Amino acid sequence: MNQKLKLITLTLMLLAVISASACIGGEEDGTAKGAGSEVSSQELTVGISTDVNNWYLDKFPDGDGRFVWSQIYETLVRLDPDLNIVPGLAESWETPDDGTTWIFHLREGVSFHDGTPFDADAVVFSYSTQSYVTQAVLRPIESVEALDNHTVKFVLAKPMPLPFYLTHVAWPVMSPSSVDAEGNFISPVGTGPFKFESRAKDQEIVVSRNEEYWGEKPELEKVTFKVIPEASTRVMALETGEVDMIIKVPEYDVSRLENEEGIEVHRKLTTFTDFLQFNCEKAPFSDKAVRQSVAYAVDTEMITSEVLEGIGEAANGRAYSPVMMYSNPDLETYSRDPERARALLSEAGWGDSDGDGIVEKDGEPLCVTLLVSNGVWASRHNPMAQAIQGELAEVGIDVEIKLLEGGAVTQLENSGDFDIILRTGHFVWGPYPKHFFVHHSASPFSHYRNATYDELVNAADMTADEEKQKELYYSLQDFIIEEVPAFYLVHEEKIVASNSCVKGYTITSEDPWLNLDGVYLENE
Amino acid sequence: MWNYIAKRLLLISVVIFGVTLVTFSAMYLAPGDPAEVIAFARYGQDLSFEQIEAVREAEGLDSPAHVQYLNWLGHVLHLDFGKSVINSDDILEEILRCLPATAELALASLLLSLAIAIPAGIVSALRQNTLLDSACVFTSLLGVSIPNFWLGLLLIWLFALKLHMLPSFGYGTLDNLVLPTLTLGTSMAGVTTRLTRSSMLEVLKQEYIVAARAKGLDERTILIRHALKNALLPVLTFSGMQLGYLLGGAVIVETIFSWPGLGMLLVDSIFARDFALVQGCVLFIAVLFSLSNLAVDILYAVLDPRIRYGKHD
Repeated sequence: MNQKLKLITLTLMLLAVISASACIGGEEDGTAKGAGSEVSSQELTVGISTDVNNWYLDKFPDGDGRFVWSQIYETLVRLDPDLNIVPGLAESWETPDDGTTWIFHLREGVSFHDGTPFDADAVVFSYSTQSYVTQAVLRPIESVEALDNHTVKFVLAKPMPLPFYLTHVAWPVMSPSSVDAEGNFISPVGTGPFKFESRAKDQEIVVSRNEEYWGEKPELEKVTFKVIPEASTRVMALETGEVDMIIKVPEYDVSRLENEEGIEVHRKLTTFTDFLQFNCEKAPFSDKAVRQSVAYAVDTEMITSEVLEGIGEAANGRAYSPVMMYSNPDLETYSRDPERARALLSEAGWGDSDGDGIVEKDGEPLCVTLLVSNGVWASRHNPMAQAIQGELAEVGIDVEIKLLEGGAVTQLENSGDFDIILRTGHFVWGPYPKHFFVHHSASPFSHYRNATYDELVNAADMTADEEKQKELYYSLQDFIIEEVPAFYLVHEEKIVASNSCVKGYTITSEDPWLNLDGVYLENE
Repeated sequence: MWNYIAKRLLLISVVIFGVTLVTFSAMYLAPGDPAEVIAFARYGQDLSFEQIEAVREAEGLDSPAHVQYLNWLGHVLHLDFGKSVINSDDILEEILRCLPATAELALASLLLSLAIAIPAGIVSALRQNTLLDSACVFTSLLGVSIPNFWLGLLLIWLFALKLHMLPSFGYGTLDNLVLPTLTLGTSMAGVTTRLTRSSMLEVLKQEYIVAARAKGLDERTILIRHALKNALLPVLTFSGMQLGYLLGGAVIVETIFSWPGLGMLLVDSIFARDFALVQGCVLFIAVLFSLSNLAVDILYAVLDPRIRYGKHD
């Protein structure tokens, strides 16, 4: 037995020594990449927060995976950095009948990464019934037909500004050769400036330059996307030089990075806006005056400057971020006016009779819950919710904040068992103005029922005429300001940071598009 | 002994059955409609009621809870862990993909913690109530108290950002292993040091140690041949439990260092409400945990002749 004990003790001690020496050795010999080591010619490394969860059009690509998709796959219609519509794989398009039929004329001489020619059949393949998007957002597509090798006809169930929709990076054109004869996915094959090379799950994805690219060939030879979920680690990895560029920089690190030598911070408003979504179906927010009171009580300027450290732009109730197509620059928005907020509550029959600072009506105090989802926006939404809670308390509204898992929020939202939800975005992809559907009576979100509003939303969504669209969307923005089915707080700003050796980067308003056009590395 | 092992294995299977039942119930009772969550993960926004219902039917979510659970259990008994409901990845393959990274980190951290804790605990006990003892106690308390999250970021800041000695994240090289191991190992070492110290103090008070001293044995022999052997038994138990716990994946440390282990897989699957994957991960972790505890108990009998597992346990 003693022999055994000796053996075990010795083994344990030996292992301990090895492990300790591995640590010590590592500390002596280890040099981080970028810490003095030479950068290879034109190889960019980008830190992203999540891996690509899937590569094929039968499922929705989640999170940061779309930043990678946007290098490999392309869309028929594209957006420039300021969200203007420009030709992509389609050179031109027209609608012969005000938006029910759309004809796209495809670019010629384009090949997929594996040499398969890009033609009308590939478009038909990409928007067939197996594509998840034709079962969801593009459900109105009735048929996609190749008129000839380079002309495709889409027929819809109702008029729609289809080109707006087809700019979405998550609904791109894929090669029919991405799947085998049985329809099983093999590998990602697109027409984009970079082609798929390799992937180590939850670690990195490598793409390399597409030498046959139809457009302006990238300067970069290779891009490696490193998966770094923790934001603080991502920032430090940029500072050590292990990565050249990072996306989703936390608000609290921006001012520090802006002052740091050798780091460039790129900022641009996105299409996303944070908003308070009211439940307009039940008291107290079924009363417009109470909703307006909240709009006067909440100081979005203060939230932006103090809580979010100046990242983003105060929305003051404006539903559309200024970068969005049809955002009205002259819209009359709210400004903080606690007196007006109190007066509105009092007009609606709410008063503080017992002097506890909270208003009551028929003996019931005005207590509401504010739901915050613990998802990707939580780090921003939590402090915002606390600021809102304080401001509403000032005018006599008692707010309880509940931090819940996303599925739980959705369940309460569907059943109408909520007062306010703090959320972001919601159908605000680039140019398509679908967001107003959130307050449509057919949607399960705001529980807002207004026939005039519904008519306006339907009409706006079904017109392909830009002048008419503009007019309708302006009316909708006025409507939201007046009726407040939701109060819009802050237009989100996208932050990308890079090392100063990264040149030629133009940040786009489009999330999740990582624009690498014209990017190159200046090697010292 | 073999009887004992057989009995324990039987008990372990009951425990694991209980664990899977609790996990299933927790996932089933969590707020939110799983069919809607899965449908959203597949199709994104703008879901139709029909789509959600189709997912419910396809995934068998429309059958009663006990039927769903028994279905899953039936498959698992045939070693079929199924596929992820979100992206159709093979669950067993996913778990096995993450296991090496988790095992590496767990073993390295455990060894580092023992390498620090055993000498520190012994020195602390032998020099009781001296400055050295106080320093050891204070340092171990610090190790226990510092949150992994903060320590991990601090180590990245120091070793990667300021000293340029080590990479701040990633997996695959020995260099990558150092910082996550330091983070986990030092925090574990805190507890183990205190345990070693108190256990050693306990043993040194025993009569057989006094007798050995009275016989004139030299201090070193007393320490190594008599005291240490007995003092390390509770440390061994604790380390075995720690290893089982670590094999479940050190979620926070894995996330900070982008370490592709089981912890990250489990957390991602919980957030995605990927029932099948959560069940698979938890089952796997429960098995590892139970087996590592069993291994410790067997080792116990090997090390301590007084412990005999037989008829009366």
